[in-house]
Amino acid sequence: MLVQFFVPHRASTTLYEMVLDWVQIIYAFSLLVGAAMLVRHHAKTALRPSAKDRPYSLIVLSGIGIMLVTGLFSSRGPGTAFLWIFQNVQAPMQATMFSLLSFFVASAAYRGFRARNTQAIFLLAAAVLVMLGRVPVGEMITSYFPDGADWLLNVPSMAARRGIYIGIALGTIATSLRVILGIERTYLGGK
Amino acid sequence: MIADQRNSASLQTRHFIFILVAVSVALPLIFKIGLPLKVTAEVQGAYDFIDELPEGSAVIFSFDHDTGTLPEMIPLAEALLRHCFKKNLKVLGLALLAEGAAVGDDNFRRIGNEYNKIYGVDYLFWGYRPQVTVAILGMGENIERVFPADYTGKDLRSFPVMQNIRNYHDIAAVITVADGDMPVSWVHYGQARYGVKVIPAVTAVMATTIYPFLQSGQVAGLIAGLRGAAEYEKLIGIPGKASRGMDAQSSAHILIIGLIIAGNIILIRERRRKRS
Repeated sequence: MLVQFFVPHRASTTLYEMVLDWVQIIYAFSLLVGAAMLVRHHAKTALRPSAKDRPYSLIVLSGIGIMLVTGLFSSRGPGTAFLWIFQNVQAPMQATMFSLLSFFVASAAYRGFRARNTQAIFLLAAAVLVMLGRVPVGEMITSYFPDGADWLLNVPSMAARRGIYIGIALGTIATSLRVILGIERTYLGGK
Repeated sequence: MIADQRNSASLQTRHFIFILVAVSVALPLIFKIGLPLKVTAEVQGAYDFIDELPEGSAVIFSFDHDTGTLPEMIPLAEALLRHCFKKNLKVLGLALLAEGAAVGDDNFRRIGNEYNKIYGVDYLFWGYRPQVTVAILGMGENIERVFPADYTGKDLRSFPVMQNIRNYHDIAAVITVADGDMPVSWVHYGQARYGVKVIPAVTAVMATTIYPFLQSGQVAGLIAGLRGAAEYEKLIGIPGKASRGMDAQSSAHILIIGLIIAGNIILIRERRRKRS
Protein backbone atom coordinates (compact mmCIF):
# COMPACT_ATOMS: atom_id res chain seq x y z
CA MET A 1 0.00 0.00 0.00
CA LEU A 2 2.88 2.34 0.84
CA VAL A 3 4.64 1.63 -2.48
CA GLN A 4 1.39 2.02 -4.40
CA PHE A 5 0.98 5.51 -2.99
CA PHE A 6 4.18 6.64 -4.71
CA VAL A 7 3.95 4.47 -7.86
CA PRO A 8 0.79 5.26 -9.82
CA HIS A 9 1.38 2.42 -12.32
CA ARG A 10 -1.58 0.46 -13.74
CA ALA A 11 -0.41 -2.76 -12.09
CA SER A 12 -0.04 -1.17 -8.66
CA THR A 13 -3.44 0.54 -9.03
CA THR A 14 -5.10 -2.79 -9.90
CA LEU A 15 -3.47 -4.41 -6.88
CA TYR A 16 -4.54 -1.46 -4.72
CA GLU A 17 -8.17 -1.76 -5.87
CA MET A 18 -8.09 -5.50 -5.19
CA VAL A 19 -6.80 -4.94 -1.65
CA LEU A 20 -9.56 -2.38 -1.05
CA ASP A 21 -12.17 -4.90 -2.26
CA TRP A 22 -10.81 -7.60 0.04
CA VAL A 23 -10.74 -5.33 3.09
CA GLN A 24 -14.43 -4.52 2.52
CA ILE A 25 -15.31 -8.20 2.12
CA ILE A 26 -13.45 -9.14 5.31
CA TYR A 27 -15.08 -6.25 7.18
CA ALA A 28 -18.55 -7.31 6.00
CA PHE A 29 -17.91 -10.85 7.27
CA SER A 30 -16.67 -9.47 10.60
CA LEU A 31 -20.05 -7.73 10.94
CA LEU A 32 -21.69 -11.10 10.34
CA VAL A 33 -19.55 -12.70 13.04
CA GLY A 34 -20.49 -9.86 15.43
CA ALA A 35 -24.21 -10.36 14.74
CA ALA A 36 -23.88 -14.14 15.18
CA MET A 37 -22.11 -13.70 18.53
CA LEU A 38 -24.83 -11.29 19.70
CA VAL A 39 -27.56 -13.78 18.75
CA ARG A 40 -25.70 -16.66 20.44
CA HIS A 41 -25.21 -14.69 23.66
CA HIS A 42 -28.85 -13.65 23.90
CA ALA A 43 -30.16 -17.04 22.77
CA LYS A 44 -28.31 -18.64 25.70
CA THR A 45 -29.94 -16.19 28.14
CA ALA A 46 -33.36 -16.53 26.51
CA LEU A 47 -33.28 -20.32 26.82
CA ARG A 48 -32.63 -20.18 30.58
CA PRO A 49 -36.01 -19.61 32.30
CA SER A 50 -34.29 -18.61 35.56
CA ALA A 51 -32.13 -15.90 33.92
CA LYS A 52 -32.83 -12.44 35.34
CA ASP A 53 -32.20 -10.71 31.99
CA ARG A 54 -34.33 -13.16 29.98
CA PRO A 55 -37.01 -10.58 28.95
CA TYR A 56 -34.34 -8.23 27.58
CA SER A 57 -32.72 -11.00 25.57
CA LEU A 58 -36.11 -11.97 24.14
CA ILE A 59 -36.68 -8.35 23.09
CA VAL A 60 -33.24 -8.20 21.43
CA LEU A 61 -33.82 -11.47 19.57
CA SER A 62 -37.31 -10.44 18.43
CA GLY A 63 -35.94 -7.09 17.25
CA ILE A 64 -33.17 -8.76 15.26
CA GLY A 65 -35.62 -11.31 13.83
CA ILE A 66 -38.23 -8.76 12.77
CA MET A 67 -35.71 -6.41 11.13
CA LEU A 68 -33.97 -9.34 9.42
CA VAL A 69 -37.20 -10.73 7.96
CA THR A 70 -38.55 -7.31 6.85
CA GLY A 71 -35.13 -6.33 5.48
CA LEU A 72 -34.61 -9.53 3.52
CA PHE A 73 -38.13 -10.09 2.23
CA SER A 74 -39.21 -6.54 1.36
CA SER A 75 -37.53 -3.92 -0.79
CA ARG A 76 -35.75 -1.00 0.87
CA GLY A 77 -37.51 1.91 -0.79
CA PRO A 78 -40.32 4.10 0.57
CA GLY A 79 -43.53 2.53 1.90
CA THR A 80 -41.92 -0.73 3.03
CA ALA A 81 -42.35 -2.42 6.43
CA PHE A 82 -38.60 -2.15 7.03
CA LEU A 83 -38.60 1.63 6.59
CA TRP A 84 -41.81 2.00 8.64
CA ILE A 85 -40.29 0.15 11.62
CA PHE A 86 -37.04 2.08 11.24
CA GLN A 87 -38.74 5.48 11.13
CA ASN A 88 -41.45 4.85 13.71
CA VAL A 89 -39.76 2.59 16.24
CA GLN A 90 -35.98 2.67 16.06
CA ALA A 91 -35.43 6.35 15.21
CA PRO A 92 -37.78 7.78 17.90
CA MET A 93 -36.41 5.40 20.54
CA GLN A 94 -32.79 6.33 19.86
CA ALA A 95 -33.59 10.04 19.59
CA THR A 96 -35.45 9.82 22.92
CA MET A 97 -32.48 8.18 24.61
CA PHE A 98 -30.19 10.91 23.30
CA SER A 99 -32.63 13.69 24.26
CA LEU A 100 -32.69 12.49 27.88
CA LEU A 101 -29.14 13.83 28.08
CA SER A 102 -30.42 17.42 28.21
CA PHE A 103 -32.28 16.69 31.48
CA PHE A 104 -29.25 15.10 33.09
CA VAL A 105 -26.91 17.84 31.79
CA ALA A 106 -29.14 20.50 33.38
CA SER A 107 -29.30 18.60 36.67
CA ALA A 108 -25.53 17.96 36.66
CA ALA A 109 -24.85 21.63 35.85
CA TYR A 110 -26.78 22.66 38.95
CA ARG A 111 -25.22 20.10 41.28
CA GLY A 112 -21.67 19.77 39.94
CA PHE A 113 -20.62 22.93 38.07
CA ARG A 114 -19.24 24.73 41.12
CA ALA A 115 -16.42 27.32 41.29
CA ARG A 116 -14.42 25.36 43.88
CA ASN A 117 -10.95 26.46 42.63
CA THR A 118 -9.24 28.64 39.98
CA GLN A 119 -9.37 25.97 37.24
CA ALA A 120 -13.07 25.42 37.89
CA ILE A 121 -13.69 29.19 37.63
CA PHE A 122 -11.99 29.26 34.18
CA LEU A 123 -13.98 26.22 33.05
CA LEU A 124 -17.18 27.80 34.28
CA ALA A 125 -16.46 31.12 32.55
CA ALA A 126 -15.62 29.35 29.27
CA ALA A 127 -18.81 27.25 29.45
CA VAL A 128 -21.04 30.28 30.11
CA LEU A 129 -19.33 32.28 27.34
CA VAL A 130 -19.75 29.53 24.72
CA MET A 131 -23.31 28.72 25.80
CA LEU A 132 -24.34 32.37 25.46
CA GLY A 133 -22.21 33.03 22.40
CA ARG A 134 -23.67 30.18 20.36
CA VAL A 135 -27.34 31.16 20.71
CA PRO A 136 -29.20 34.24 19.37
CA VAL A 137 -30.06 35.49 22.85
CA GLY A 138 -26.33 35.98 23.56
CA GLU A 139 -26.02 38.21 20.50
CA MET A 140 -29.00 40.21 21.68
CA ILE A 141 -27.34 40.91 25.05
CA THR A 142 -23.97 41.98 23.58
CA SER A 143 -21.85 41.18 20.53
CA TYR A 144 -18.97 40.36 22.91
CA PHE A 145 -20.57 36.98 23.64
CA PRO A 146 -20.41 35.57 20.07
CA ASP A 147 -17.03 37.23 19.47
CA GLY A 148 -15.66 35.82 22.72
CA ALA A 149 -17.04 32.35 21.98
CA ASP A 150 -15.49 32.43 18.49
CA TRP A 151 -12.13 33.48 19.94
CA LEU A 152 -12.28 30.71 22.52
CA LEU A 153 -13.01 28.10 19.85
CA ASN A 154 -10.56 29.45 17.27
CA VAL A 155 -7.56 30.16 19.51
CA PRO A 156 -7.14 28.27 22.82
CA SER A 157 -9.39 25.32 21.92
CA MET A 158 -7.84 25.00 18.46
CA ALA A 159 -4.29 25.16 19.90
CA ALA A 160 -5.13 22.28 22.24
CA ARG A 161 -6.78 20.32 19.44
CA ARG A 162 -3.78 20.83 17.12
CA GLY A 163 -1.47 19.63 19.90
CA ILE A 164 -3.56 16.48 20.30
CA TYR A 165 -3.59 15.85 16.52
CA ILE A 166 0.17 16.32 16.22
CA GLY A 167 0.70 14.02 19.20
CA ILE A 168 -1.56 11.34 17.67
CA ALA A 169 0.24 11.62 14.31
CA LEU A 170 3.70 11.29 15.88
CA GLY A 171 2.51 8.35 17.99
CA THR A 172 1.03 6.64 14.91
CA ILE A 173 4.26 7.13 12.92
CA ALA A 174 6.37 5.82 15.81
CA THR A 175 4.14 2.74 16.31
CA SER A 176 4.02 2.06 12.55
CA LEU A 177 7.82 2.23 12.32
CA ARG A 178 8.15 -0.13 15.28
CA VAL A 179 5.82 -2.62 13.58
CA ILE A 180 7.51 -2.30 10.15
CA LEU A 181 11.01 -2.67 11.63
CA GLY A 182 9.94 -5.66 13.73
CA ILE A 183 10.58 -3.97 17.09
CA GLU A 184 6.91 -4.19 18.04
CA ARG A 185 5.74 -7.83 17.93
CA THR A 186 2.96 -7.97 20.50
CA TYR A 187 0.37 -8.23 17.72
CA LEU A 188 1.98 -11.57 16.78
CA GLY A 189 1.69 -12.81 20.34
CA GLY A 190 5.33 -12.00 21.22
CA LYS A 191 6.66 -9.76 24.00
CA MET B 1 -33.52 9.97 59.14
CA ILE B 2 -31.53 13.10 58.18
CA ALA B 3 -29.97 11.18 55.28
CA ASP B 4 -33.44 10.15 54.05
CA GLN B 5 -34.65 13.76 54.22
CA ARG B 6 -31.57 14.91 52.25
CA ASN B 7 -32.12 12.23 49.57
CA SER B 8 -35.79 13.17 49.28
CA ALA B 9 -34.92 16.90 48.94
CA SER B 10 -32.25 16.10 46.31
CA LEU B 11 -34.76 14.00 44.34
CA GLN B 12 -37.35 16.78 44.52
CA THR B 13 -34.79 19.33 43.27
CA ARG B 14 -33.84 17.02 40.40
CA HIS B 15 -37.47 16.51 39.38
CA PHE B 16 -38.05 20.27 39.57
CA ILE B 17 -35.05 20.82 37.24
CA PHE B 18 -36.38 18.18 34.81
CA ILE B 19 -39.75 19.99 34.67
CA LEU B 20 -37.99 23.33 34.12
CA VAL B 21 -35.99 21.86 31.20
CA ALA B 22 -39.13 20.38 29.62
CA VAL B 23 -40.99 23.71 29.92
CA SER B 24 -38.04 25.81 28.69
CA VAL B 25 -37.74 23.64 25.56
CA ALA B 26 -41.45 23.12 24.87
CA LEU B 27 -42.72 26.70 25.25
CA PRO B 28 -40.52 28.33 22.56
CA LEU B 29 -41.45 25.50 20.18
CA ILE B 30 -45.18 26.14 20.75
CA PHE B 31 -45.03 29.95 20.87
CA LYS B 32 -42.57 31.10 18.21
CA ILE B 33 -40.28 33.94 19.36
CA GLY B 34 -38.08 34.35 16.27
CA LEU B 35 -34.85 35.66 17.77
CA PRO B 36 -32.53 37.33 15.20
CA LEU B 37 -29.60 35.25 14.02
CA LYS B 38 -26.21 36.36 12.65
CA VAL B 39 -24.61 34.17 9.97
CA THR B 40 -21.09 33.06 10.89
CA ALA B 41 -18.16 33.06 8.44
CA GLU B 42 -17.83 29.25 8.34
CA VAL B 43 -21.49 28.73 7.36
CA GLN B 44 -21.27 31.58 4.84
CA GLY B 45 -18.18 29.87 3.38
CA ALA B 46 -20.05 26.59 2.89
CA TYR B 47 -23.04 28.38 1.37
CA ASP B 48 -20.89 30.44 -1.01
CA PHE B 49 -18.99 27.36 -2.16
CA ILE B 50 -22.17 25.47 -3.09
CA ASP B 51 -23.85 28.56 -4.49
CA GLU B 52 -20.97 29.21 -6.88
CA LEU B 53 -20.98 25.68 -8.34
CA PRO B 54 -22.10 25.59 -11.97
CA GLU B 55 -25.46 23.97 -12.74
CA GLY B 56 -25.11 20.19 -13.26
CA SER B 57 -22.09 19.79 -10.96
CA ALA B 58 -22.18 16.62 -8.91
CA VAL B 59 -22.09 16.63 -5.12
CA ILE B 60 -21.98 13.65 -2.77
CA PHE B 61 -24.01 13.61 0.46
CA SER B 62 -22.59 11.19 2.99
CA PHE B 63 -24.99 10.36 5.84
CA ASP B 64 -22.49 9.42 8.52
CA HIS B 65 -24.71 9.37 11.59
CA ASP B 66 -27.05 7.17 13.55
CA THR B 67 -30.65 7.89 14.54
CA GLY B 68 -29.89 9.21 18.04
CA THR B 69 -28.88 12.60 16.66
CA LEU B 70 -31.66 12.95 14.08
CA PRO B 71 -33.14 16.16 15.60
CA GLU B 72 -29.82 17.88 14.86
CA MET B 73 -28.91 16.03 11.65
CA ILE B 74 -32.19 16.26 9.75
CA PRO B 75 -32.38 20.11 9.68
CA LEU B 76 -28.75 20.21 8.51
CA ALA B 77 -29.33 17.71 5.72
CA GLU B 78 -32.63 19.29 4.66
CA ALA B 79 -31.21 22.81 4.38
CA LEU B 80 -28.19 21.64 2.35
CA LEU B 81 -30.28 19.36 0.10
CA ARG B 82 -32.74 22.20 -0.60
CA HIS B 83 -29.86 24.44 -1.65
CA CYS B 84 -28.37 21.76 -3.93
CA PHE B 85 -31.71 20.92 -5.58
CA LYS B 86 -32.50 24.63 -5.96
CA LYS B 87 -29.16 25.06 -7.75
CA ASN B 88 -29.94 22.09 -10.07
CA LEU B 89 -26.90 20.14 -8.97
CA LYS B 90 -26.59 16.37 -9.43
CA VAL B 91 -27.06 15.01 -5.92
CA LEU B 92 -25.58 11.61 -5.06
CA GLY B 93 -25.86 9.97 -1.66
CA LEU B 94 -24.31 7.27 0.49
CA ALA B 95 -24.00 6.25 4.12
CA LEU B 96 -20.89 5.16 5.98
CA LEU B 97 -22.93 4.19 9.05
CA ALA B 98 -25.65 1.58 8.52
CA GLU B 99 -28.44 3.65 10.06
CA GLY B 100 -27.65 6.60 7.81
CA ALA B 101 -28.79 4.63 4.74
CA ALA B 102 -32.52 4.62 5.48
CA VAL B 103 -32.35 8.21 6.74
CA GLY B 104 -30.47 9.38 3.66
CA ASP B 105 -32.75 7.64 1.17
CA ASP B 106 -35.83 9.10 2.85
CA ASN B 107 -34.33 12.62 2.89
CA PHE B 108 -33.35 12.42 -0.77
CA ARG B 109 -36.81 11.34 -1.93
CA ARG B 110 -38.69 13.78 0.34
CA ILE B 111 -36.66 16.89 -0.54
CA GLY B 112 -36.28 15.74 -4.16
CA ASN B 113 -40.08 15.61 -4.49
CA GLU B 114 -40.32 19.19 -3.16
CA TYR B 115 -38.30 20.32 -6.19
CA ASN B 116 -39.88 17.85 -8.67
CA LYS B 117 -36.59 16.04 -9.12
CA ILE B 118 -36.51 12.55 -10.62
CA TYR B 119 -34.72 9.65 -8.94
CA GLY B 120 -31.90 8.39 -11.11
CA VAL B 121 -31.96 11.47 -13.36
CA ASP B 122 -31.38 14.33 -10.91
CA TYR B 123 -30.38 12.43 -7.80
CA LEU B 124 -29.40 8.94 -6.70
CA PHE B 125 -28.84 7.14 -3.42
CA TRP B 126 -26.15 4.45 -3.44
CA GLY B 127 -26.69 3.02 0.05
CA TYR B 128 -24.38 1.86 2.82
CA ARG B 129 -20.81 0.59 2.71
CA PRO B 130 -18.87 -0.68 5.73
CA GLN B 131 -15.25 0.19 6.56
CA VAL B 132 -14.96 3.95 6.24
CA THR B 133 -11.32 4.19 5.14
CA VAL B 134 -11.58 1.65 2.35
CA ALA B 135 -14.93 3.01 1.11
CA ILE B 136 -13.56 6.57 0.88
CA LEU B 137 -10.30 5.46 -0.76
CA GLY B 138 -12.13 3.10 -3.13
CA MET B 139 -14.37 5.86 -4.47
CA GLY B 140 -11.25 7.87 -5.26
CA GLU B 141 -10.35 5.17 -7.80
CA ASN B 142 -13.75 4.03 -9.04
CA ILE B 143 -17.15 4.74 -7.49
CA GLU B 144 -18.82 1.91 -9.42
CA ARG B 145 -16.42 -0.61 -7.87
CA VAL B 146 -17.47 0.43 -4.35
CA PHE B 147 -21.16 0.81 -5.26
CA PRO B 148 -22.00 -1.48 -8.22
CA ALA B 149 -25.73 -0.95 -7.49
CA ASP B 150 -27.91 1.73 -5.90
CA TYR B 151 -29.82 1.40 -2.59
CA THR B 152 -32.65 -0.49 -4.30
CA GLY B 153 -30.23 -2.91 -5.98
CA LYS B 154 -30.33 -1.58 -9.56
CA ASP B 155 -27.17 -1.37 -11.67
CA LEU B 156 -25.47 2.00 -11.12
CA ARG B 157 -24.71 2.47 -14.84
CA SER B 158 -28.43 2.24 -15.68
CA PHE B 159 -29.01 5.69 -14.14
CA PRO B 160 -28.51 8.79 -16.36
CA VAL B 161 -27.28 10.83 -13.36
CA MET B 162 -24.16 8.60 -13.21
CA GLN B 163 -23.05 9.43 -16.75
CA ASN B 164 -19.53 10.92 -16.80
CA ILE B 165 -19.03 10.23 -13.11
CA ARG B 166 -16.19 7.83 -12.34
CA ASN B 167 -14.38 9.07 -9.22
CA TYR B 168 -13.69 12.20 -7.14
CA HIS B 169 -12.36 14.04 -10.21
CA ASP B 170 -15.97 14.29 -11.36
CA ILE B 171 -17.29 15.38 -7.95
CA ALA B 172 -17.46 19.07 -6.95
CA ALA B 173 -17.81 18.46 -3.21
CA VAL B 174 -18.51 15.89 -0.53
CA ILE B 175 -20.99 17.04 2.11
CA THR B 176 -20.65 14.82 5.15
CA VAL B 177 -23.60 14.97 7.55
CA ALA B 178 -22.03 13.43 10.63
CA ASP B 179 -22.43 13.05 14.37
CA GLY B 180 -18.95 11.65 14.95
CA ASP B 181 -15.47 12.27 13.57
CA MET B 182 -16.22 10.81 10.13
CA PRO B 183 -15.48 14.19 8.45
CA VAL B 184 -11.89 13.77 9.68
CA SER B 185 -11.67 10.52 7.68
CA TRP B 186 -13.09 12.34 4.64
CA VAL B 187 -10.37 14.99 5.05
CA HIS B 188 -7.59 12.42 5.59
CA TYR B 189 -8.48 10.05 2.75
CA GLY B 190 -10.75 12.02 0.41
CA GLN B 191 -9.30 15.52 0.56
CA ALA B 192 -5.62 14.86 1.32
CA ARG B 193 -5.28 11.89 -1.05
CA TYR B 194 -7.62 12.82 -3.92
CA GLY B 195 -8.18 16.56 -3.43
CA VAL B 196 -11.98 16.42 -3.24
CA LYS B 197 -13.58 19.39 -1.45
CA VAL B 198 -15.19 18.46 1.87
CA ILE B 199 -18.02 20.33 3.62
CA PRO B 200 -18.77 18.95 7.09
CA ALA B 201 -22.26 19.38 8.57
CA VAL B 202 -21.82 18.13 12.11
CA THR B 203 -23.37 18.15 15.56
CA ALA B 204 -22.42 21.15 17.71
CA VAL B 205 -20.20 19.08 20.00
CA MET B 206 -18.11 17.91 17.04
CA ALA B 207 -17.39 21.44 15.75
CA THR B 208 -14.12 21.82 17.68
CA THR B 209 -12.79 18.68 15.96
CA ILE B 210 -13.28 20.29 12.55
CA TYR B 211 -12.00 23.82 13.31
CA PRO B 212 -8.29 22.98 12.65
CA PHE B 213 -9.20 21.74 9.13
CA LEU B 214 -11.25 24.87 8.52
CA GLN B 215 -8.32 27.12 9.36
CA SER B 216 -5.95 25.06 7.21
CA GLY B 217 -8.36 25.34 4.26
CA GLN B 218 -8.89 21.57 4.03
CA VAL B 219 -12.65 21.98 4.38
CA ALA B 220 -14.63 24.48 2.32
CA GLY B 221 -16.86 25.52 5.23
CA LEU B 222 -18.47 24.21 8.37
CA ILE B 223 -22.10 23.93 9.38
CA ALA B 224 -22.30 22.92 13.03
CA GLY B 225 -25.33 21.99 15.07
CA LEU B 226 -28.83 23.34 15.07
CA ARG B 227 -27.42 26.87 14.94
CA GLY B 228 -25.48 26.11 11.76
CA ALA B 229 -28.62 24.64 10.21
CA ALA B 230 -30.64 27.73 11.24
CA GLU B 231 -28.01 30.01 9.67
CA TYR B 232 -28.11 27.95 6.46
CA GLU B 233 -31.92 28.11 6.41
CA LYS B 234 -31.61 31.88 6.71
CA LEU B 235 -29.16 32.01 3.79
CA ILE B 236 -31.36 29.93 1.47
CA GLY B 237 -34.42 31.87 2.63
CA ILE B 238 -36.40 28.81 3.74
CA PRO B 239 -36.92 28.82 7.50
CA GLY B 240 -37.43 25.28 8.80
CA LYS B 241 -37.01 23.06 11.85
CA ALA B 242 -33.66 24.57 12.86
CA SER B 243 -34.92 28.17 12.93
CA ARG B 244 -37.77 27.08 15.24
CA GLY B 245 -35.38 25.04 17.37
CA MET B 246 -33.01 27.98 17.98
CA ASP B 247 -35.51 29.69 20.30
CA ALA B 248 -35.78 26.49 22.35
CA GLN B 249 -32.00 26.14 22.42
CA SER B 250 -31.64 29.76 23.60
CA SER B 251 -34.06 29.28 26.47
CA ALA B 252 -32.46 25.94 27.46
CA HIS B 253 -29.00 27.57 27.53
CA ILE B 254 -30.31 30.45 29.64
CA LEU B 255 -31.89 27.94 32.05
CA ILE B 256 -28.65 25.97 32.40
CA ILE B 257 -26.67 29.18 33.04
CA GLY B 258 -29.30 30.13 35.64
CA LEU B 259 -28.93 26.72 37.30
CA ILE B 260 -25.12 27.06 37.36
CA ILE B 261 -25.45 30.50 39.01
CA ALA B 262 -27.98 29.12 41.53
CA GLY B 263 -25.69 26.19 42.33
CA ASN B 264 -22.76 28.53 42.93
CA ILE B 265 -24.80 30.87 45.15
CA ILE B 266 -25.62 27.83 47.30
CA LEU B 267 -21.92 26.92 47.40
CA ILE B 268 -20.92 30.45 48.52
CA ARG B 269 -23.62 30.48 51.21
CA GLU B 270 -22.50 27.07 52.50
CA ARG B 271 -18.88 28.27 52.68
CA ARG B 272 -19.89 31.41 54.62
CA ARG B 273 -22.02 29.37 57.00
CA LYS B 274 -19.12 26.98 57.67
CA ARG B 275 -16.72 29.89 58.31
CA SER B 276 -19.10 31.56 60.72
